[in-house]
Amino acid sequence: MFRDIRPVLSALLRNRTGAVLVGLQVAIALAVLVNAVYIVKQRVDLIGRPTGLDVGNIFVLSSAGFTQDHDRYATMREDLAWLRSLPDVRAATSTNAIPLSGGGSSTGIATTPEASSEQTVPMNYFQVDEDGLEALGVTLAAGRNFRADEILPPDLNSDRAIPQVIITKALARSLFRTDDAVGKVVYDAFGRPTTVIGVIEHMQGSWLSWDKVDHVALVPEVASWSDNAYLVRTRPGTRAAVMRQAEEHLAASNTTRLIKFVRPLDYYRDRSYLSDRNMAVFLVTVTVLLAGVTALGIFALATFNVNVRTRQVGTRRAVGARRADIVRYFLVENWLVTTAGVVLGCALALAAGYQLSRQFELPRLDLYYLTGGVLALWLLGLAAAWQPARRAAKISPSMATRTI
Amino acid sequence: MLAMRHISKVFRTDLIETHALRDFSLGVDAGEFVAVTGPSGSGKTTFLNVAGLLETFDTGAYLLDGVDISGLSDDERSRLRNEKIGFIFQSFNLIPDLDIFDNVDVPLRYRRMPAAERRQRIDSALDIVGLKSRAHHLPSQLSGGQQQRVAIARAIAGDPKFLLADEPTGNLDSLMARQVMDLLEQINEMGTTIVLVTHDPELARRAQRNVQVVDGQISDYRPFAAQAAPAMAGALA
Ligand SMILES: Nc1ncnc2c1ncn2[C@@H]1O[C@H](COP(=O)(O)OP(=O)(O)OP(=O)(O)O)[C@@H](O)[C@H]1O
Ligand SMILES: [Mg+2]
Repeated sequence: MFRDIRPVLSALLRNRTGAVLVGLQVAIALAVLVNAVYIVKQRVDLIGRPTGLDVGNIFVLSSAGFTQDHDRYATMREDLAWLRSLPDVRAATSTNAIPLSGGGSSTGIATTPEASSEQTVPMNYFQVDEDGLEALGVTLAAGRNFRADEILPPDLNSDRAIPQVIITKALARSLFRTDDAVGKVVYDAFGRPTTVIGVIEHMQGSWLSWDKVDHVALVPEVASWSDNAYLVRTRPGTRAAVMRQAEEHLAASNTTRLIKFVRPLDYYRDRSYLSDRNMAVFLVTVTVLLAGVTALGIFALATFNVNVRTRQVGTRRAVGARRADIVRYFLVENWLVTTAGVVLGCALALAAGYQLSRQFELPRLDLYYLTGGVLALWLLGLAAAWQPARRAAKISPSMATRTI
Repeated sequence: MLAMRHISKVFRTDLIETHALRDFSLGVDAGEFVAVTGPSGSGKTTFLNVAGLLETFDTGAYLLDGVDISGLSDDERSRLRNEKIGFIFQSFNLIPDLDIFDNVDVPLRYRRMPAAERRQRIDSALDIVGLKSRAHHLPSQLSGGQQQRVAIARAIAGDPKFLLADEPTGNLDSLMARQVMDLLEQINEMGTTIVLVTHDPELARRAQRNVQVVDGQISDYRPFAAQAAPAMAGALA
């Protein structure tokens, strides 16, 4: 393949215009492709992070009272008792916020009562009852769950100490530099102590774009959100049916309230990642289009080169070139054009990657992607030039004697 | 050296069949210089294409230097062309983007010859045609006669047994045509068999033997001198 490059190159250098244009196209394609693929990969990784939750089997139901005599806490007790009685419901809890939804509550805690703001660790908390762990589908790594008698009644002023809390490993590490937090004490902003009774393996909280999305605490308290909201975990495959059943039953069982929504938890995760997903789809589309246009450019150049050289090819065949030699000639010529483009494209890709990483605080372009991009464009070039090269090889040697 | 027996070649298009060669038989001995003449469209180029393995034939038998051509693959035919045959074309067919040296190099590279040997052969071929000093000029920087001499250098650099030329002087004025003819005679004297297709009776007369093709067939085997008078008479009639 790489023998006899010199005469191919000198012929190419005497007909530069088309080659330069296609080379530039290849360079731009490489720069865009490599960075786009890299960004898409990051988005995909972001979207694919484990939530720690049993997302596929959880739904959220929210209801709000609209009459004077509506008793939200009595309603909550009835609703949860009914939900828990369903054979396909594994667990149900009231909650103050929906994980992965972009909305929730946060506060700061520390390992000493009089912590400075630097020593305070930010975290995201969910008010749940003794069914909380099971309803979220999270795994307890150490310690224990809340007992029913530990669940505090609702307190709208949130002005009291919380005796127990369950936290994630990530939060434990930020607080204590170790996962082993059971029995340790943390302090709220007023210096009131709380004992860690359990550690969750992993759980994502409310804000997926927050770098501390896994700093989560479960608090044993009846949720005091403005509306009643329940997290319900069903047995696999039954969620849709249970959602329908729950909506119907709860709407009828208590006429002092309205069901505001019943939604699978996936809805919130998808909504939170919507812009990431759109960005990825956009970049993939652009990349595919650009690769297609580049392939077309290479194909057009190769086709043109073959067409203007019918007699030359006939002559080469007449003086002894085999068909394979002709195919090789055009593939080598095309390879030289793509390679020139690829070399320039590497520089462009690195420059673009550097700019992107500075402007959008992305990690720097990984060189594996550049290598992959170079290989991809080489292959694209060979594939695009293959058909014209094969066509050239079919030119009859008798073209050499034809007088036009 | 070259033996064709009852060769036929038919070109078929959607509408017509052209019998370019019919029952065509011709023998050329080693070292001969044969001129092929004939009216336009009579099949001279077709004959040369078949003889030079540029084209296949439909029926008949063809032995080139003792090798039966009919059973050969495309690659084997390429190899035979490369090693045994040199071509000279009416419109020179030099590669415009390669300099003179690289043009002469083309068939040698297809023979996978080592670089040093190629260089030496190119130098001596260019020497024979008197263009050694122009080795790094482009074809477009040479006159037509010079370009044809480069093409001759390309044809002989591989030291072929056969030289096939189709109207090699057709695009040249008479002075340059004579120079090219001198060169061909010189090459023939060194032992290369030459088959020359030409319209020019004056050039044809310089060949050892003259063959006329009419309507895809050899019309005459006699040497040119013996048939000169009737042929001229026919042309004038
Ligand atoms: N590729 C082809 N397809 C169809 N017909 C062809 C082809 N090549 C040659 N012919 C026909 O075959 C016949 C012989 O053509 P050929 O080129 O051999 O003639 P020629 O003697 O070389 O003529 P000229 O002196 O004009 O060069 C002509 O009728 C021509 O039209
Ligand atoms: Mg002809």
